[in-house]
Amino acid sequence: MSNDVVVDIKGLAKHFGDRVVFDNVSLAVHKSEVVAIIGPSGVGKSTLIRCVNHLHPFNAGTIDVLGYHLQGDVAPSKPMLRELRSRVGMVFQTFNLFPHLTVLDNIILGPIEVKRLPRAQVTERAMDLLAMMGLQQRAQMYPKRLSGGEQQRVAICRALAMEPEIMLFDEPTSMLDPELVGEVLEAIRRLAKQGMTMLLVTHEMMFAKDVADTVVVMADHTVAERGPARQVLESPQTERARAFLRRVLNPGLSSDGARRQRGGV
Amino acid sequence: MHVASLYASAIASGALKDVGLTIVSSLIALLLGIAGALARLYGGSVIGGLVYWYVELIRGLPAILQLFIIFFGLTQFGIDLSPVAASVLWLVAYGTGYAVEIFRAGIMEVPTGQREAADALGLSSLKILQKIIVPQAWVGMLPNLTSFLVLQLKNTTLLYLVGYADIMYQARLGADATEQPGILYLMAALAYLVIALVIAVAGLRMERRAALYR
Repeated sequence: MSNDVVVDIKGLAKHFGDRVVFDNVSLAVHKSEVVAIIGPSGVGKSTLIRCVNHLHPFNAGTIDVLGYHLQGDVAPSKPMLRELRSRVGMVFQTFNLFPHLTVLDNIILGPIEVKRLPRAQVTERAMDLLAMMGLQQRAQMYPKRLSGGEQQRVAICRALAMEPEIMLFDEPTSMLDPELVGEVLEAIRRLAKQGMTMLLVTHEMMFAKDVADTVVVMADHTVAERGPARQVLESPQTERARAFLRRVLNPGLSSDGARRQRGGV
Repeated sequence: MHVASLYASAIASGALKDVGLTIVSSLIALLLGIAGALARLYGGSVIGGLVYWYVELIRGLPAILQLFIIFFGLTQFGIDLSPVAASVLWLVAYGTGYAVEIFRAGIMEVPTGQREAADALGLSSLKILQKIIVPQAWVGMLPNLTSFLVLQLKNTTLLYLVGYADIMYQARLGADATEQPGILYLMAALAYLVIALVIAVAGLRMERRAALYR
């Protein structure tokens, strides 16, 4: 972790009509920092990280990402947005691989179409990424032939092929069968070790404690607590964070925990 | 069966005309349909509204009335179209109305996650349409596109009313001349059925190939 702030969120607010998703959210992410965002369902964790690459517009506040400035209720210019997005990778809860393209074509599409890199060079890098994930044999297959865990690892390769400076993970393991969660978490852990800056929405508390530098607890439409991962998870300072963690760590008692026990939706 | 052999070549020439017209008019209608669907989805309220009302007009008016307006109605305003020109014009206009809806439904059926994933990579809107949305929409639309082609084929039967010498025209002529409508209309039916089956088989093949990844 260094002192350069690469994502600076200030006073962010988002609402759908009258319904407030979150309000007054501020968060600075430093280079190589791993930030895990946790909190009850529906509190706007996913919406928050989707604001970072402007997949969701927001209503007030500002976000500065790698020097690009996003402002509430102002539509950013399309070229600026494309440039920002080409430098910020994203992995989705539902994988969102392109089903009509092979695994390899999924990975090389971005570098070829966005960065205009030669196919041979991009293919080589894609195969390296697949090899790193142990998926070389899957290169010519269509995504639907792969298990959920494999699909999500391909999705990570697809994002990494753009050589992003920041990675956003939107509940990357919540759609996976329990026995497939580990392989995806392992891939993310490796990325963290290599010094990738990451914003990660997750329900995996142990993983957050293990991999994240910083944990952010969202509750009641805003950031309830943020701090070093171990400290926040082991001895939370605020009542809202304590209440949430109590529920998650005693699964039988909460809907959030119950969902985890069933192993996904 | 003397009648059958006598009129076989006439029906066959009519069939060729029907097939040709179906292919040409459908190709143009499909291209206009894509443009119309995109305009309807992304063109804003004015352009989108125009397309909406165009579709309603085509869907709402009886086919034969549309054809008569183009071929007979327009003569009163000095526009005198040949049977072929009127036929092509009507089939394209009619087909476009339906093609817009087929493409619109197909595009809307592509899950939003697909667009989001493409957006997140930094692809431009045009590239997203070209590389992600249209190829996937296309596969979902194949059954409807097959029906569309068969519909266009069957619409050509109406064209005998403006003097386009298609299958129906030849069968009608033969029925009047020989007073054996049973045999002649049966021949016409067979001709249409064969062409429709060819379209259906082609459609099925394309669906199967597309099903590789589905």
